[in-house]
Amino acid sequence: MSTKGTHIPDWLQVPFAGITPAPSQKGQDLFPTGNWRAIRPVYRDKMPPCNNACGTNEKIQGYLDLVKRGKYLDAYALIKEDMPFPSVTGRVCYHPCEQACNRGKYDEAISIRAVERFLGDLGQALPKDVVKPGKPNGKKVVVVGSGPAGHSAAYQLARLGYAVTILEKSPKAGGLNRGGIPDWVLPQNVLDREIERLVELGITIKTNTEVGKDVSWDELRKNYDAVVLAVGLINPNSIRAEGEDTAGVHYGLPFLRDIGMGTSKVKLGPRVAVIGGGNTAIDCAREAYRQGAQEVTMITVEGNASEMPCVPEDLHDMVEEGVELKHGLACTAILGTGKVEALQLHPAKFSGAINASPITVNKDAKPERFAVDNVIIAVGQHGALKWLPDEFKNDKGGIKADRFGRLGSTNVFAAGDVVQVGQGQPLMVVNAVGDGKRTAFNVDTVLRGEPLQERMVAIDVITDLARMNMTYFPKFPRVQQAMLAPASRRKTQDEVIQAFSEEQAIEEANRCFSCGTCNACDNCYLVCPEPCIIRYDRSNGLYKILVDYCKGCRVCIEECPTGCLEGVPELDFDTGVVRMDTAFAITQGLHGRQAEELRNLPDRPAKDIG
Amino acid sequence: MPAIEVQRQMLPMLGSPNQGARFYNPELPATEPFVPGHRTCAGCGPSIQYRMTSKAAGDNTILVGPTGCMYVANSSYLCTPYNVPWAHTQIGSSGSFTAGVAAAYEAMIRKGKWKGTFPNIICEAGDGSASDIGLASVSGALYRNHDCLIICYDNEQYANTGIQASSRTPYGGMTTFSPPGPKVPEAKTLFPKDLARMMAAGHPHCYVATASVGYPIDLMNKVRKALNHKGAAFMMIYTPCQKGFVYETPRSIDLGRLVVESGLYPIWEWDPEKREFDYSFRPASMRPVSEYLKLQGRFGHLHAEHIATLQKFANQQWKMMNVAIPEALIKAADAKNLVDMASAEAAAAVAQTV
Ligand SMILES: Cc1cc2nc3c(=O)[nH]c(=O)nc-3n(C[C@H](O)[C@H](O)[C@H](O)COP(=O)(O)OP(=O)(O)OC[C@H]3O[C@@H](n4cnc5c(N)ncnc54)[C@H](O)[C@@H]3O)c2cc1C
Ligand SMILES: Cc1ncc(C[n+]2csc(CCOP(=O)(O)OP(=O)(O)O)c2C)c(N)n1
Ligand code: SF4
Ligand code: SF4
Ligand code: SF4
Ligand code: SF4
Ligand SMILES: [Mg+2]
Repeated sequence: MSTKGTHIPDWLQVPFAGITPAPSQKGQDLFPTGNWRAIRPVYRDKMPPCNNACGTNEKIQGYLDLVKRGKYLDAYALIKEDMPFPSVTGRVCYHPCEQACNRGKYDEAISIRAVERFLGDLGQALPKDVVKPGKPNGKKVVVVGSGPAGHSAAYQLARLGYAVTILEKSPKAGGLNRGGIPDWVLPQNVLDREIERLVELGITIKTNTEVGKDVSWDELRKNYDAVVLAVGLINPNSIRAEGEDTAGVHYGLPFLRDIGMGTSKVKLGPRVAVIGGGNTAIDCAREAYRQGAQEVTMITVEGNASEMPCVPEDLHDMVEEGVELKHGLACTAILGTGKVEALQLHPAKFSGAINASPITVNKDAKPERFAVDNVIIAVGQHGALKWLPDEFKNDKGGIKADRFGRLGSTNVFAAGDVVQVGQGQPLMVVNAVGDGKRTAFNVDTVLRGEPLQERMVAIDVITDLARMNMTYFPKFPRVQQAMLAPASRRKTQDEVIQAFSEEQAIEEANRCFSCGTCNACDNCYLVCPEPCIIRYDRSNGLYKILVDYCKGCRVCIEECPTGCLEGVPELDFDTGVVRMDTAFAITQGLHGRQAEELRNLPDRPAKDIG
Repeated sequence: MPAIEVQRQMLPMLGSPNQGARFYNPELPATEPFVPGHRTCAGCGPSIQYRMTSKAAGDNTILVGPTGCMYVANSSYLCTPYNVPWAHTQIGSSGSFTAGVAAAYEAMIRKGKWKGTFPNIICEAGDGSASDIGLASVSGALYRNHDCLIICYDNEQYANTGIQASSRTPYGGMTTFSPPGPKVPEAKTLFPKDLARMMAAGHPHCYVATASVGYPIDLMNKVRKALNHKGAAFMMIYTPCQKGFVYETPRSIDLGRLVVESGLYPIWEWDPEKREFDYSFRPASMRPVSEYLKLQGRFGHLHAEHIATLQKFANQQWKMMNVAIPEALIKAADAKNLVDMASAEAAAAVAQTV
């Protein structure tokens, strides 16, 4: 090769053969190979399906990633952005996130709830919580009801700087977390600690204070800048059967509530029947054993267990504890003189496709007489809203609010079960928490005098495993939480499901794919042939592609395990590298300059270009 | 004057990339001896290998490059992507040149003319250079046990001159020197030279290993082991070439995994102390060769019987590595159970965990 006729800059004047000087980045600047590229790799985080499915959109992928790296406190702080009490949901949540988890399509879903509980318990042990109240803004908000929705709304409002008062009619705060969910799922001391945390945030909780009795609707509206009604559904539904008022008949909600509040006077006989097939019925049946029953039978209209509107794990655990199931039956009368002696059961089924639809009872069939000593009715509940003006009530036994949770154009909002009932989504703690959170933000928007707006973020939920690279993930079984043996459970209020150890939490967090979100695995950085992917700190999402050099081979896109890299046709970009006729230039930086000049074309008079 | 001891670098091993089920690369060396702006094709396998090898070796390194893509495409117009001293050698003299560099540094250190630790001296030869044209010089350097690492970056052909068959080109591989036709429908009829085993058998005092760009951490650790080994070391590294193999560029790493999973490129180490092969490396799954072949245009002409021949070859390699061969792979070695490459999309994917 000869250099004759070629202009070589002074700094490149070196002998051709033999050892050349260590060439510099400078020399390579001559060849901005980025102009070969037709497709540009770009980093774009997507929404993991778990975060999307969570009722309050916890940043699940984020905290699992922090747990993987042993950063528990950061993980706890991250979860607390959306969830005031991970110690509670870590125990009671029906975990829609796990149902949506991508790993479920591969081997087994991540045990997200167990990791959440690990973090929640860690937070409980902290002498001081990581969350601080916001700078006081001088405005007062009252929250009616201290269940999950009220708790969450009060928590977020306090963080925003509002002076928050919670009014609660029961002697203890907590709503259904206390007076519904049994102690063997959620121990009282765990809930107590979370209520303490609210008080530490400066929130005033007034128990034994009922709106409609101790405080009137008008007082609420007069004394506060805004009101959040999170009053739940506290009245049990009836089955409209003869003899429902016989002694020995109990309703699920008050039955559990009184046990939870420590005021229960119920004494169960040896044979107990539970009517209903949902989660509350399951809790009642399991609680009945713990209250001394010998034989517990659950009676459902559903034709078989798989149709029951409940969490399958809880159903399994109930059957393990010895509860019998009778399906396809409706209780048409409660028999007995002075006291329950038996139930009259007729074959029945739901007349519609869903089990909330009216029941068709076959009254012509010969009824079955089922001997019992007590019966617990658990077929849903409705709101107690006598004190509320009729214009704000709906026909589902709940409150009528707009999509922001607002009651007309008032400064009154509502959140939780009382709004969500009959809206087609399952009633559960995390949905109430999410609703409370969103409502708090809406209250804030209104009190700041800004218009309420739907959050219009376009979300790309990554549910297609083909968009990620599964070769990086060995199959690995889900870490199981230990459980008390079924026989011993029946006699105790001890927690059935046991906590993860630190090692278990890490092992399980390690299974997370980190769907659609960079977790700083360094793979793109390692496999690029140029290499033109750089990072100064190894941290999530801090990778950069030198577009002057990237040839668009897409190896990085293919090899990103999490699927957060994607290819965008170069023509979609109006800035960056300009394609050239030549592949190289002998003067340093020519391409760069040329590109810059071309980019500035419209700003300069035509004759100046040369 | 007393001779000065040669201080060696002794590079630490990189930890396992996976902790339990997690995928997370270990902390990688910060050094970048290989920089962008070079003119290899997009997705070039040898370049990926160069990036990994040089990152593992670090800045105290001298690179030697006999003629081939990694020289011609990279060092034209008086600039190269090597941020460490680098020399081009004639294609046949890679071994002798490298031996000279190593001997020179040893002597200079001994005589006190060079201060500092002994540099990593790495020769990056193509397969044409290492297995054909420069075989003698590579063998000489290994035999005389110069303290250096000679890598054959194996793209299974002479790529730089426009894709000609080398002795590493696989059976059935189409190149400009081995085109398929009515007389020779399988294209290349000979099986590849078993270069790495030749080197282990012929120079048993050397550290010898095979690796693939599909397993970066394994590759980088073997490079470090080879550099830490006192004396000569040889590595043969699978590096797909999208131009010659005819595949979509994003597949470069994927092919590096598939070639191992299909048994066509056994990954092993030769331990010079024990004088034995270590076959303990296991890919995540075992696949029929057709899954590897069907991604590449260079195999597009193969008939069922040729694929069966390649499967038999792969099964022999598994046997050599003491791996029990699953029923599906035994079946796949019978042409009756296979279809021609033209309809290979129909070939059922059989994946089995080892
Ligand atoms: C038995 C049972 C078990 C359940 N188990 C689970 C479970 O394991 N996991 C899960 O995710 N979900 C479970 N749920 C559902 C979940 O508990 C509810 O969806 C959730 O508690 C709703 O929260 P909320 O804040 O809207 O209402 P609630 O929790 O009902 O809270 C409403 C609060 O308002 C108070 N209140 C009502 N009226 C007034 C008034 N006029 N003045 C002052 N205070 C008033 C009530 O006393 C109560 O404290 C269960 C429900 C039941 C009934
Ligand atoms: C003695 C000699 N013969 C032939 C050539 C022409 N030549 C230049 S590069 C090359 C190909 C080398 O192939 P390989 O070593 O496999 O490297 P690759 O191009 O595949 O990277 C050849 C044959 C040469 N430079 N010198
Ligand atoms: S694998 Fe991880 S990020 Fe993906 S859905 Fe499951 S928990 Fe979420
Ligand atoms: S390969 Fe790893 S580091 Fe690169 S973008 Fe994907 S997740 Fe992030
Ligand atoms: S691997 Fe490198 S060159 Fe290839 S597309 Fe990604 S950034 Fe560009
Ligand atoms: S021809 Fe093959 S080896 Fe040569 S630069 Fe292109 S991809 Fe790399
Ligand atoms: Mg070659």
